[in-house]
Amino acid sequence: MSEPLLRIDDLSVGYGDFIAVDGASLQVDEGQIVSLIGLNGAGKTTLTSAVTGLLKPTSGKVYFGAEDITGMNTDKIVSKGLSLIPQGGRCFNRMSVQDNLLMGSFPRSARKEAKETLGHVYELFPVLKEKMRDPAGSLSGGQRQMVAIGRALMARPKCLIFDEISLGLSPAVIKDIYNRIQSINERDKTAIILIEQDTRRALKMSDSFFVMLKGKIVLSGKSAEVDAETLKEAYFGI
Amino acid sequence: MLKRKFTPSHVKVLDSPPMLILCIVLVVCLYIGCFAGLISNKVMRYLVQIFLYVTMGEMWNLLSGYAGMTSLGQQLYIGLAGYSVAMATSPLFGLPLFSALLIGAGISVVVSLFMSLILFRLEGMYFSIATLVAAEAFCMLFFAWKFVGQGAGLTIRINPYPKLQEICILSLTICVVALALVYGLLRTRVGLGLTAMRDDITSAASVGVNIFSHKLLVYVIAAFFTALAGGIFFVNKGTIYPDSGFDISWTISMVFIAIIGGTGTVSGPVIGAIIYVFLNEKLADYPGWSNIILGTITILVILFLPNGIMGTLQKKLRFEIFSSKRFSFRLKKNAGGK
Repeated sequence: MSEPLLRIDDLSVGYGDFIAVDGASLQVDEGQIVSLIGLNGAGKTTLTSAVTGLLKPTSGKVYFGAEDITGMNTDKIVSKGLSLIPQGGRCFNRMSVQDNLLMGSFPRSARKEAKETLGHVYELFPVLKEKMRDPAGSLSGGQRQMVAIGRALMARPKCLIFDEISLGLSPAVIKDIYNRIQSINERDKTAIILIEQDTRRALKMSDSFFVMLKGKIVLSGKSAEVDAETLKEAYFGI
Repeated sequence: MLKRKFTPSHVKVLDSPPMLILCIVLVVCLYIGCFAGLISNKVMRYLVQIFLYVTMGEMWNLLSGYAGMTSLGQQLYIGLAGYSVAMATSPLFGLPLFSALLIGAGISVVVSLFMSLILFRLEGMYFSIATLVAAEAFCMLFFAWKFVGQGAGLTIRINPYPKLQEICILSLTICVVALALVYGLLRTRVGLGLTAMRDDITSAASVGVNIFSHKLLVYVIAAFFTALAGGIFFVNKGTIYPDSGFDISWTISMVFIAIIGGTGTVSGPVIGAIIYVFLNEKLADYPGWSNIILGTITILVILFLPNGIMGTLQKKLRFEIFSSKRFSFRLKKNAGGK
């Protein structure tokens, strides 16, 4: 079997004495959609922050391709092709939509193709093209989320992490955004990690899943084969 | 479609050649005025203050308004520069003013590099407090240090003592270089990264902006220019002692200038500094009241003009002097046919 695209090996992250992620391991293959589900405070966001270099892990390893990226700076990790879309569709509110998107090609590696990628992003989210000159802060929550996704795509990632993309959005918008995520995955063969609380939706879309509880990965497997009862037990820890 | 005409992104950017020429003409006039002695000493004294406060305000604006580092300890570099100038030009070393200023700025850069190791571990309010404490610590150090005259401080004895005219030209030069540098920096990739950091630091990191190196660059540049301006201030004053060198009112004046003028605009601190120097002069007759009045003005501006004078004017009248925005306008030009 070929090397997985992203491999997290026994990773632990803590804030002072508190251990938020306790020896989590997971892997993502090229072109795969993986969902990471769990309750509030299970350590999902902390795990991804550590993977993308926003936090420094206390122990464990992260490999991207064959390369060890543990504890590397975020800007380096992004230029290698691993991007995170932070929770809550955080945009640069005072910049225009277009500036926001072009900000995504900040790494030198992505700048050459910025114009072309920008075209792809506008194709994917036509509404952003209409609003390209408006300040991002004036957009709706769903549109801001699209800006955040588009911005991450501008770096031409091989793997994208969506941190609770559905947070605070209406079901119709969520469905729409999920469809776009699917097409990102299909067109560019971008591997995707979905961090979700909406278990059903995440499982429906992903190839495999990981359930996190109290900082540990308690269950994993193929999304299609999961049994509802086992999942519920793992999810709530009962 | 009609609605879009009124979106705030449709602003006139006044950094086209006419605006640039206007600025150059203004600067050249000031130089000629200084060199030819067309400006009276009284006006020149005002001008020196304005130039120096513009420099310091602009640097604080870069730190806080762009990089999100609200330092309350910039007086550290003013004090260091003042003492460096006093020592280097003293009979003991006997260096000329210009080298003394550069030494002061150099020492400030070294100290700022060292301080960044400690300070950059902190963010937001904690960063502000730490910068203030660091400046106070240096103040205490100079109080206890025999070599620099302890609490009594030093008298600045440059031989020959520079004329007001020379000081004015020097301040103008520093001010122009500082403004050009800030504007130039903001238009580069670094500036783009800084603007992103200002809006959302996590997102900036997640698109690949190296937060640490951006912060460091800005912090060191600010230390360098604040020190240059501070050094000249003390040449003008003639004496320095710990309480005057490391006085927090230096930073308070920078904050006032940046807030009044408009943080996050290049032109804001220029307006802010002019207002500050003018007010300072007018309020000098009411020593007890001056801080109360300045404080009240700051509060009123924050309440009613949260973007500062320039920021509000730019928003209301939809123009921008020397915008640091790059992409939309450049692309707008390309899409000009539409």
